[in-house]
Amino acid sequence: MTEKVKLKWNGKDIEAVKGSNLLQAALDNGQEVAHYCYHAGLSIAGVCRMCMVEQDGVPRPFPACNATCGEGMVVRNDTPKIKAAVENTLQFHLLNHPLDCPVCDQAGECGLQDYYMKHGQYDSQMIDKKVHKEKVQDIGKNVMLDAERCILCSRCTRFTEEVTKTFELGILNRGDHAEITVNEELKNDYAQNLVDICPVGALTSKDFRFKQRVWFLEEVYTTCIGCETGCSVKVSQNKNGAYRVKPVFDETVNGHWMCDDGRQIYKHVSSPTRLQVASENMNGLFVPADELNIKEAVKGKKAKFILSTSLTNQEYERFFHEVGSKAEVALYTLPKLGADFDGILKRGDKNANLRGAEHAFKKAGKDSTPAALDKLLNSIGSSDVVYVVVPEILYNEDHFNTLLTKIEKASMRIALTPGETLSSMKVFNYLLPVPSFLEKEGDIVNFSGDIRKLNAGLSYGETTKDISYYGNWVNV
Amino acid sequence: MSSHSNTHVSHSQGAPFKFTAENLAKYEELLTRYDDVESALLPVLHLVQEQNRWLPIEAIEYVSELMKIPEISIKEVISFYDMFYDIPVARNMVHVCTNITCSMFGGREIYQGLLKHFDTDYLTPTRDGRISLQKMECLGACEMAPCMRINNDYVGPVDLVSAIHKLEELP
Amino acid sequence: MEKDTANYKDFSLLSYHHIPGVHNIEVFERAGGYEMMKKCFGMEPDFIKEEVKASGLRGRGGAGFPTGVKWGFFSKDRSAQKYLLCNADESEPGTFKDRYLVEKNPHILIEGMIISAWALGTQKGYIYIRGEFYQQAMILEKALKEAYAKGYLGKNILGKGFDFDLYVHRGAGAYICGEETGMISSLEGKKGQPKLKPPFPAIKGYRGLPTMVNNVESLAAVPWIMRFGAAEYKKWGTEKSAGTKLFSISGDVNKPGVIEVPLGTSLKEIIEVHCGGMRNGNKLKAVVPGGSSAPVFNHDESYVVKMDYEDVAAKGSMLGSGAIIILDETRNIGDLMKWTLEFYHHESCGQCTPCREGTGWLESVFKRRDSGKASKSDIDLLDKTAASMRGQTICALADAAAMPAQGMIKSFRSELEAYIMTPTHTGKR
Repeated sequence: MTEKVKLKWNGKDIEAVKGSNLLQAALDNGQEVAHYCYHAGLSIAGVCRMCMVEQDGVPRPFPACNATCGEGMVVRNDTPKIKAAVENTLQFHLLNHPLDCPVCDQAGECGLQDYYMKHGQYDSQMIDKKVHKEKVQDIGKNVMLDAERCILCSRCTRFTEEVTKTFELGILNRGDHAEITVNEELKNDYAQNLVDICPVGALTSKDFRFKQRVWFLEEVYTTCIGCETGCSVKVSQNKNGAYRVKPVFDETVNGHWMCDDGRQIYKHVSSPTRLQVASENMNGLFVPADELNIKEAVKGKKAKFILSTSLTNQEYERFFHEVGSKAEVALYTLPKLGADFDGILKRGDKNANLRGAEHAFKKAGKDSTPAALDKLLNSIGSSDVVYVVVPEILYNEDHFNTLLTKIEKASMRIALTPGETLSSMKVFNYLLPVPSFLEKEGDIVNFSGDIRKLNAGLSYGETTKDISYYGNWVNV
Repeated sequence: MSSHSNTHVSHSQGAPFKFTAENLAKYEELLTRYDDVESALLPVLHLVQEQNRWLPIEAIEYVSELMKIPEISIKEVISFYDMFYDIPVARNMVHVCTNITCSMFGGREIYQGLLKHFDTDYLTPTRDGRISLQKMECLGACEMAPCMRINNDYVGPVDLVSAIHKLEELP
Repeated sequence: MEKDTANYKDFSLLSYHHIPGVHNIEVFERAGGYEMMKKCFGMEPDFIKEEVKASGLRGRGGAGFPTGVKWGFFSKDRSAQKYLLCNADESEPGTFKDRYLVEKNPHILIEGMIISAWALGTQKGYIYIRGEFYQQAMILEKALKEAYAKGYLGKNILGKGFDFDLYVHRGAGAYICGEETGMISSLEGKKGQPKLKPPFPAIKGYRGLPTMVNNVESLAAVPWIMRFGAAEYKKWGTEKSAGTKLFSISGDVNKPGVIEVPLGTSLKEIIEVHCGGMRNGNKLKAVVPGGSSAPVFNHDESYVVKMDYEDVAAKGSMLGSGAIIILDETRNIGDLMKWTLEFYHHESCGQCTPCREGTGWLESVFKRRDSGKASKSDIDLLDKTAASMRGQTICALADAAAMPAQGMIKSFRSELEAYIMTPTHTGKR
């Protein structure tokens, strides 16, 4: 099926799968081809007219996005004719564009700006009145639309037609009055992808709007821990914290997209209420505590651990190695939320590494079932110290709070948390920080049994001490 | 035909829309002509306008439900074609050709003259609700330039006086 | 000519047009209508296709592509689901020939379509007629009913085991639906936006299935071609432009209207003989020879051109749909430019950037005089902008806007310069 063909692009030999998209083949081979409407995850529109090429033996230029690779094709987009055409078409794109880059969030990652710098005609002959359209529209789901910046590439309308099949967006009117329009409001759970695929600053995220210039950010490539799907993502961050999560193309798991819930998974990491140091409960108020005192307080008590399902395989393994048979260990699994599978990416099982946890428990000779958790909870006595690893993403706080009511019998209750200090945590005597998914490296196992990588980016306070560090206290 | 305003709020007629029994039968017949439901959209919208003159949001919702076509797709279609109206129009629709041959013979002056005479604007119904005027591109009747369409009938050549006279006769 | 007999000698398309009541099937049949359809059912489909190809008939919608060659691209699998689509959207400014043909004689089109359907093996057909032609659509509807009643349409036509259903489909006012893939989108219940090619409609058209789109005039020529043969048809016209053609003539002539003459007839003859000469005895200034997208001819060019595909092209324009607009010495080319640019701006479907933005910009630049910002160099800017729109888009609308603009600049530059430098007081259209 994957027969390869050889073709020439601007005189350079490139190889591609026979019948595959010509534009994609050029891009995959590192060739520079301006394009706005083409997106590998969507159908071909062929409307921006930027990827025009000439082919030997073909009388007229055509867009590479609507062509397929064949053996021996000789294609160029660097001829004077094509270069002039691309420059002219760019000029047409800019005619009714407001060129408000200084106040645009897309600046720095804008297709229009990029090519304008390269191919732009700086002496604009556009002295005529531009077509005015609606500037700031909240179209729902945290997406803002600026119709004047829109270049009508139709990526967004194709997304709502083809990917989510929710049909909220359309292009109304003809000619230069054509305008992206929302029917009522965005309702799909993947709306933030619209912001990603918009090649200009027409669709921006309310969440990210005006918060940070993109050139002050760096990306960490990792895996979403929002559910058991395990989408490949990148987190944009700098020393001040994380700012956004975007999907990374991954053929095997998520293709080009991710769900909106997954976009939220970074929020606890650099939250102002993120627990950063060991803390002690002083009449309901948590104040920094000396770790040595906590260690002293648990000495001699029988340790019981309740682990979460979003830890890495390596964390589980190290933990069991430290704890051995000196403590009872059970697993708290997050309750199901919504449909098992929404047909796109989202899964109701929110336990990012249930499979890894189960494997580690089994290997350690422990029981990871809910029955075992119940047994542990029922056995809690006053001489016990109970460690609860707080799930990193808590979709259902009530369910977790119910768990917390069952540990009250223990005289010493300690939370190991990668996130914010919640009001329900008053049940604990001590809170100890553990690394969030952005502060550790390791593997998780997704719904289909695939190993997914977590990569470290940020580091906060004492969060380098993971659960195995505290597990080691059983040896005190 | 969108109203050329920048906001795309579909207009409400303040009352629900549904096909009469007779038009529902016509709708069923229309479906038999095509190999899928979507293809019947243009004829169905024509049918709605025959009954309702224009296409308020209530009609869009009705057609969307009836044909299982997303509302936005119907709105796109309405906005694309000059003869679909998403704003209220009058009992009588008058098209004035302003393309080349008709303009050579005063089509544009006739259109402007009619707007002035009837104290109205593009598509806006006259105060008595009788007439909506729409300037149109070539109506395909250049041998009778300048020409007009009054409801479904072509008339031409006309001049401003005879055009006013014809329109004054409308019910 | 006999008032109830067809005049096949002088006309192929208008051979029945003088017959009163020929829109009625009985009258049409008495004059010889539907005879060829019946005979064709006894012929091999390939024979019909060959005959049409041999006739040299070229697509009468505007492009002039040989109909028989286009038919040759069509799926040959007779059992496969396929469509025949008649383009009766006739929207090119200046064109009204199809209206004239079908409102008087709908059956010649229906007969042509049934023969073509048999030749092509299509089971279903639509006549896509522009929304404004309501009465013409009704005439076609009535004629279709008559043809169904006679058993010429529907299941198992005349017991030949061939099914063909034919319907009228009304557009709703959008020029671009005359482009064949725009028409297909529109028929599919969508905005009439042209589709990327490849794939071509003959392979993947309406609903993703093979679809043959032909103009009214092309399809209506088929019965005559089959009756008298390709060789007879070729006796009309020139070597490369065979047959007769309908011309829609409007503007400053005494008798505007539709005529059918052999291709290659001189424009001079058309104006002086068929159209009764120039109105008020005025001098001819310019002619738009093939619809608004055809570059304009000046006086001298108009009097030497022969109206066939080659000669019109050789003189820098195109035959297009055969819509001839005559302008006399009292006309200003600036007005023609303004009306033309406004039209394409209004009708651009908005998909492809060069057309969406370019058509609007051409109009804006040309109308800078309204805001007092015009300069003579704007004509160069117009020329350059128009040139940069050509060959860059999915369909030919951008070219259709650019070509006449460039043509007018080429032939009437100084007049246009004067025009744009004359201030106006109103910004109104």
